[in-house]
Amino acid sequence: MATIFGIDLGTTNSLIAVMDGDHPRVIADPATGNPLLPSVVALEPDGSVAVGEKAIELEPHLNVERNGQIGAVGLAGGEYGAVVRSIKRYMGLGGQELAPEDRHRYAFTDLSGPVVRFQIGSRTYTPPQISAEILRALKNRAEAANLGTVDKVVITVPAYFNDGQRQATKDAGRLAGLDVVRLVNEPTAASLAYGLQKIAAGRVAVYDLGGGTFDISILSIKEGIFEVLATNGDTHLGGDDMDRALVEFILAELPESLRVERYIWNSARREAEAAKKRLSTAESTDLVLELPGHTIHKSLTRAEFEHMVNGLVTRTLEKCAMALKDAGLKASDVDAVVLVGGATRVPLVRRRVEAFFGREALCSLDPDQVVALGAAVQAGILTGARRDMLLLDVVPLSLGIETMGGVMERLIHRNTTIPTSVKEMFTTAVDNQTHVDIHVLQGERELASDCRSLARFKLGPIQPQPAGMARIEVTFLIDANGILNVTARDQRTGREHSVDVKPSYGLTDEEIERMLEEALDLGEEDLSRRLLIQARNDAEQILAALDKQLGEYGHLLDSAERAGIEGLAGELDRVRTGEDREAIARLVEELNQASTPFAQRIMDEAIREAFEKKSVQEVS
Amino acid sequence: MCRDCGAPLAVELDYFAALGLPRRLTLDSRQLESAYYERGRRLHPDRFATEPEAVRDASLMSTALLTRSYRTLRDPVNRGRYWLELRGEKLSDDNKQVPAELAELVFEVQEELAELRGAARRDRESVNELVTALHERRNALQLSMDEAQEELRKNFAKWDGQSADSAKLSLNLKAILSKVAYLRTLIRDVDRELESSALAKDKIL
Repeated sequence: MATIFGIDLGTTNSLIAVMDGDHPRVIADPATGNPLLPSVVALEPDGSVAVGEKAIELEPHLNVERNGQIGAVGLAGGEYGAVVRSIKRYMGLGGQELAPEDRHRYAFTDLSGPVVRFQIGSRTYTPPQISAEILRALKNRAEAANLGTVDKVVITVPAYFNDGQRQATKDAGRLAGLDVVRLVNEPTAASLAYGLQKIAAGRVAVYDLGGGTFDISILSIKEGIFEVLATNGDTHLGGDDMDRALVEFILAELPESLRVERYIWNSARREAEAAKKRLSTAESTDLVLELPGHTIHKSLTRAEFEHMVNGLVTRTLEKCAMALKDAGLKASDVDAVVLVGGATRVPLVRRRVEAFFGREALCSLDPDQVVALGAAVQAGILTGARRDMLLLDVVPLSLGIETMGGVMERLIHRNTTIPTSVKEMFTTAVDNQTHVDIHVLQGERELASDCRSLARFKLGPIQPQPAGMARIEVTFLIDANGILNVTARDQRTGREHSVDVKPSYGLTDEEIERMLEEALDLGEEDLSRRLLIQARNDAEQILAALDKQLGEYGHLLDSAERAGIEGLAGELDRVRTGEDREAIARLVEELNQASTPFAQRIMDEAIREAFEKKSVQEVS
Repeated sequence: MCRDCGAPLAVELDYFAALGLPRRLTLDSRQLESAYYERGRRLHPDRFATEPEAVRDASLMSTALLTRSYRTLRDPVNRGRYWLELRGEKLSDDNKQVPAELAELVFEVQEELAELRGAARRDRESVNELVTALHERRNALQLSMDEAQEELRKNFAKWDGQSADSAKLSLNLKAILSKVAYLRTLIRDVDRELESSALAKDKIL
């Protein structure tokens, strides 16, 4: 079994972790020993890329030189290249959906479209491409630590990420050459890490305030099952916002034209971040910013800082109240409160969360690392290393379709456990309609125009009939990643019209393919070599799976079927270490075809076993 | 054939069968949960992550059915409705109409909500009075709902005991179900209005 790695792709920092036996551990940078990789990407006009600390060095800022002069250093932005922070705030969003302060931070080609594109000289980058650079750096880190090839990963996302943001994260993985086996919600991942050693059972509230996002999840833990009861959050609320409040405080006296100057703003942001950390232990601190010819010097007490960010903490507690209400619980029903994310180190946050829930909060696992540790635990669940645990997560936002009068009709309500499916019957509004427009929406508002549009498609031609006579069956299926698939079928034509929709966030599959090819062209390995390795891995995987299945379920095949499958498997085994990629790929495909009925039978058998284990008599 | 009522099973497993439970209206919530957990543990896609696609798809579909079954049966009103549906009796169409015994109550509550919305734009003092009254109203609604749910529970037990005339019981069941459903909607409307008036108040202060 290939190892699956766990990745926390954070707004401020990213981490990679792996199961070591049956416990997770974070893989530190072998050179520096730092477990965190700053989620900062420097894009130079010649196409070269730096990630992490190296990127921070290239960020435009003011520097006091040896002779005492203050100089501006770093990539100046636009045609000079740019250093991108907090790329997560851009994932899966169109220009109009960005937070106002994110709209002017970098040079974009066009903010009216469904996908933002960063303009660096003559090149453009989409957010998944930039995130892919961070993922590649993490992959390299683990490979440099001699932990084998990183192919398969679990990536965490904020629980409150919508469908487009999740798709964008999966695409980033693909662009980095990774197979994203599963997306896991960050607070739920954290609960897995805690569940392993600190919390055996009960109702748990996970309060996750990261650099850019806030999530609250309420879970019930029982006999190794982690069932999410409700989740809520804000994908634009986090430690970044605290830093911004401090930057505004530092730069208050400067004229607007200087405040937005990149060198100054970034230098102030660095000082703000450091001051925020100092105020977690000190009662007051000095903020110093050296500008050419002028030094800004201010002092700030913790109480003053708390006054600045108090409103932000209040917003998070309102979300906590909503999550509790959806879970049908009171704050006092919660048995444990867990703090996750670097911003929970701010004493005010901790104090107010504890007051809200009326109990002391747990933070014994490093709040910066706990999500990555949980991602590795989920990877362990997927490989079978931890069969004693299972995560049952929920969909954070309601899903539905637009009906008459622009009304959003919900098919799946928020906080429904996934995977799940729902079928609903719809009909036509006009006589002799030959097509039906299906508009898929996500959100909590009543009007379609206030919800997020996930996809639009036409079903047809359908048989013309009087209004209200057509019967269109719409099926929503949400998989374990929280990603939606929609099928619509006209039930009256006799023929079936079935359309599968993969809701996207503005990037089509073709565009992703093209980026993938570009990425491969630029990659260290050439394309054919990479494809050969991929084919070999596929062969290895299918042979291993088949071996196991024949051992356990061989009795489900007759001798002719078995001989056929074994013949193909033998052939594949002979060619799989060779150089002929096409032969390997062809045999993998043939073997897949041949063993599909077998797989179906195994599944039927497994379901039968599951349903029969407890007979009706036993349970009634 | 279904072991309990003799009716033929649908091609797709019905929700009771999916959870391996008898088709009864009275269900113990702990028994329901443990049936769900036990099957979830075996069928969940996480258990088949490294299997071929056909297996993963089958696991996804079975788990989706399992989740839907659990969600429906866990709630007494949805369970009752689904149970009627299995017998070919739809509740959804009758449900749009306000049950006669609730007509007056519904009218009064809507009046109060409209009044609060109107007052919210004028003065705060009358808002406070109306909010207090609405809180009382909510408590009264909750009491009626508790009673109706108790009534529902008794009817479930009666039906499972099969001691009475089934046509009459089914009518009864429908009436109570639509009453509970309606009370729920009313409570939800009141809650929404109270929530939004509380938010508006925060802004004034």
